[in-house]
Amino acid sequence: MYFIYSSPEPNQHKRYIKLSELAKKYTVVIIVLAVFISLGIRLYDLQIKSQSEYGMKSEKNSIRKIIESPPRGLMYDRNGVLLVDNEPSYVLTIIPKKFDRNNLPEIATLIEESPEDIAAMLDEQTGTNRFNPLRIKRDISFKVVSFIEENRDRLIGVDYQVESMRKYRSSIRGSHIFGYTREISQTQLSRDTGGYYQQGDVVGQTALEKFYEVKLRGNKGVKLASVDVNGKILGPYNDEKNDIKAINGADLHLTIDVELQGYAERLLGGRRGAIVAVDPRNGEVLCLVSKPDFDLSLFTGAGKNKELSQVFSDPNNPLFNRVIQTRYPPGSTWKMMMGAAGVGSGKITTTSTIACGGSYTFGNRTFGDHGAYGNISLARALEVSANVFFYKLGVMVGIDDYNKFGKEFGFGLKTGIDLPNETKGLLPSREYFDKVYGEGEWGQGLLVSLGIGQGELGVSPIQLVCYTAAIAMDGMYHQPHLVRKIKNPTNNFEETPDYYKRQINLPKTLFETLRRGMYLVVNGGGTAKNIRSSQYVLAGKTGTAQTTKANNHSWFVGFAPYNDPQIAVCVLGENQGWGNEFAAPLAAAIMIRYLSNNSSDVYEEMKNGEVVPD
Amino acid sequence: MKRDREFNSGFDILLFLLTLAILAFGIVAIYSATYGNTGGTEYYMKQLIFAIAGVIMVIGISYIPPRYIAVTSYYMYGFGILLLIAVLLFGKTINGNKSWFYIGGFGIQPSEFAKLATLLAVSHFLNHGDEKKDVNNIKVLIKTALFIAVPAVLIKLQHDTGTMIVFLSMMIPILWASGLNTFFLFGIITPVLSVILGFLNPIFFYVGLLIVIIALIFFKRNLFASIAVFAINLAAGMSVQFLFSRLAQYQQDRINAVFNPELDPLRSGYNVIQSKVAIGSGGLYGKGYLQGSQTQLKFIPEQWTDFIFCMIGEEFGYIGAMILITLYVMLILKVFFNGLNSKNSYMSLVTIGIGGLLLFHLSINIGMTIGVMPVIGIPLPMVSYGVSSLLSFLAMIGFALNTYRHRNTYV
Repeated sequence: MYFIYSSPEPNQHKRYIKLSELAKKYTVVIIVLAVFISLGIRLYDLQIKSQSEYGMKSEKNSIRKIIESPPRGLMYDRNGVLLVDNEPSYVLTIIPKKFDRNNLPEIATLIEESPEDIAAMLDEQTGTNRFNPLRIKRDISFKVVSFIEENRDRLIGVDYQVESMRKYRSSIRGSHIFGYTREISQTQLSRDTGGYYQQGDVVGQTALEKFYEVKLRGNKGVKLASVDVNGKILGPYNDEKNDIKAINGADLHLTIDVELQGYAERLLGGRRGAIVAVDPRNGEVLCLVSKPDFDLSLFTGAGKNKELSQVFSDPNNPLFNRVIQTRYPPGSTWKMMMGAAGVGSGKITTTSTIACGGSYTFGNRTFGDHGAYGNISLARALEVSANVFFYKLGVMVGIDDYNKFGKEFGFGLKTGIDLPNETKGLLPSREYFDKVYGEGEWGQGLLVSLGIGQGELGVSPIQLVCYTAAIAMDGMYHQPHLVRKIKNPTNNFEETPDYYKRQINLPKTLFETLRRGMYLVVNGGGTAKNIRSSQYVLAGKTGTAQTTKANNHSWFVGFAPYNDPQIAVCVLGENQGWGNEFAAPLAAAIMIRYLSNNSSDVYEEMKNGEVVPD
Repeated sequence: MKRDREFNSGFDILLFLLTLAILAFGIVAIYSATYGNTGGTEYYMKQLIFAIAGVIMVIGISYIPPRYIAVTSYYMYGFGILLLIAVLLFGKTINGNKSWFYIGGFGIQPSEFAKLATLLAVSHFLNHGDEKKDVNNIKVLIKTALFIAVPAVLIKLQHDTGTMIVFLSMMIPILWASGLNTFFLFGIITPVLSVILGFLNPIFFYVGLLIVIIALIFFKRNLFASIAVFAINLAAGMSVQFLFSRLAQYQQDRINAVFNPELDPLRSGYNVIQSKVAIGSGGLYGKGYLQGSQTQLKFIPEQWTDFIFCMIGEEFGYIGAMILITLYVMLILKVFFNGLNSKNSYMSLVTIGIGGLLLFHLSINIGMTIGVMPVIGIPLPMVSYGVSSLLSFLAMIGFALNTYRHRNTYV
């Protein structure tokens, strides 16, 4: 072939070309036909000679992966009391491809659903899905299960599966602590880039169930089974040697005290508001209540659609967690903050005095107070909640230090509590006002209201309780958290999450003065003498957030015992009036109940004090 | 009238109709293989739209004067290399292969373009200048090899072994067509066979070696060259076992599974086992369209790509499979003949290369679905789902049509 180019004679050249082209054509034809024949023979072997063998294999002996979902992890309270459990529940399934439509009315009556709805669900399935069991109804009764068992031969394609369902073991609601689980939505499925989830999986949607989803869900296993042509399982494949075992979800050991939580839920009752208490020594959340709340068990099982849609459409928004998601002005509970900013910025000392007449005029506007107190120092100003003291202090401190020290105490920032969707609140800054009003378009007058915790300032109860705890602990700020330990009972793997703590860099005397002021609020001539207790020395501060439309929001922050703080608490009552009127007695009752080891109930005697403005 | 005659004589209607038939087969198969997938309609619609666009492209390509193709081929080659480097740096990894660009929801595989560009450029290189290069000259041979090696290495770096092997295999028909003597060809092909035989069974290897010796005697080349070929074969076959034993266990397992899928039923072997069951259970007439349990129960992941032939075997049976293979064989023979009958030496080389590529894809792809070839991920031409490979194969058909049209035009 190759010598065609070097052929010496023209005539011969031509002959060689012809010959070699012919040779090439033969070669090509031979090779192509060889491929054709060998593929033909091999396919003949496979499809004609071994057809029965492979036909049987395809009927009987195909491997199928079956995903096993492990049970979700449980939740316990700080003393090991089981709060959130699982219980088996039955799901009615139908394989669309095998189901006999003549049985439709019977099935519909059995599970009390309309035949049209079931037919529509079945028709939605196409292709492969028609071979797979489709979940028709969750949480069917045992009666239905036994009916299916008895009529198995007749009701072809109808079956049931066992899955685990949340069961709430304790008497507490814990709606905003535990959160609910639900079948994964299409949007969530499309966002699952890791490809872990499948249609029908139950995932945590809110609160701890969502925050610790990866820990709680465990890891799915894969079971390999031999299946027949209809997808029916014939038995395990290869003695389960190739299976991947599912790993159960890990249990959460919470910081919540179930007794205290239940007490707080009862105390708040049907009123809108929030109660949150932490251990100031470590940031452990002892109780967390947001009202209105909802019954978590509505989200498990079936037949509760009406109640569920009520939860979702309730104008009071029971799904909203007021502890971490509201942002209201803190009112007078902010005054310790101002004291800290004043001392921190060097504008005042812990003993310097400010003249407090009955009002304060800034520019052409006069800001009122509920009394004239003369020249008073910080502790006294806190005790009587003297507005003029803090109006003046606000203007003295200025917006930059206001913002700087606000951040020191965690305002305008997320606390980092282990719950989803926490708000940062609103802590104004120079940039913020420049943006809202335009550069140079706003005056120092804004700082007058900001000094007493009103105006463009938004804080959440969790921020306030952490701030109170930091004051109680000489400025040690702990990250609030609900989970102290994550423990997996199947492999005994234990994990203690790390939470941050930081020291607020302000003098110890400042914190002593702030605590002294808070002591006097309750035990001196202050705004919350109605909650003075003979049992424990309480300290705290009332607050009232002014609202333009409705009754004011009632605040109280406090800690106890005064000399050895073990609990810090924040109470918010939406449109419940003055701080000492609504919030203070609740906070006191919570603190005393906790310190007395969940035995005292002092709320009734405390709530009848006189109404004192703060 | 005259114009019509010219059109008819310039348009390879047989090749064109064969292409349409195979394309139709593919779309019907993809429809079934993706039936019931979420978003399953997208696959066959996408394939249909690009098949139509591709057919228009095919007709367009058939009109380009061959010298233009030759002149631009180096630029296309350069561009192809740039794309391969770019995809290494910025590409997206799918199934372990970093060989994809994602543009507006479409995966684009630069290696498919590079394959075509390399074929055009190598043919140009061998056909360049006043006198054609003699591939029996060792320098020309090495340069040719480098032409192919550069993109092949880049593709290997993307972990796309299948396409790399396709690249290397492309050399053989081109060298053969441009007149490489049989002895050289023998020297290139036999060591590869020796490696495979040496791996499978030492006895096979010694038998093979014996055949090599006999062949060498018949070649009657000089002693030195004959001994060199023998030595290369011996070394290749002997060292493979040694090298194999040095590999890590998991690597050994993977290689073993290539030859014996039952050893690894859940990973690499899984597809082959399931695919054999699918095809084998099809029988003579098949289970009927959309009735194949293996296909419809999706036992083979992503069956619409490389394993599309199982669907054909299962649902259309032996008859359907053989009709498709016959269509392919006719198409490939027509492509080869267009190449061999052309007086245009450049297009002739290109087209013989294309025939070789199509034959290689056909035999490897179907071979792996029926368990006689190792599973390397290469598509079934114009039938497997995949826009990049579809357009690349259709462009090849376009060049084969072009060769037919310009068969009497000397360069």
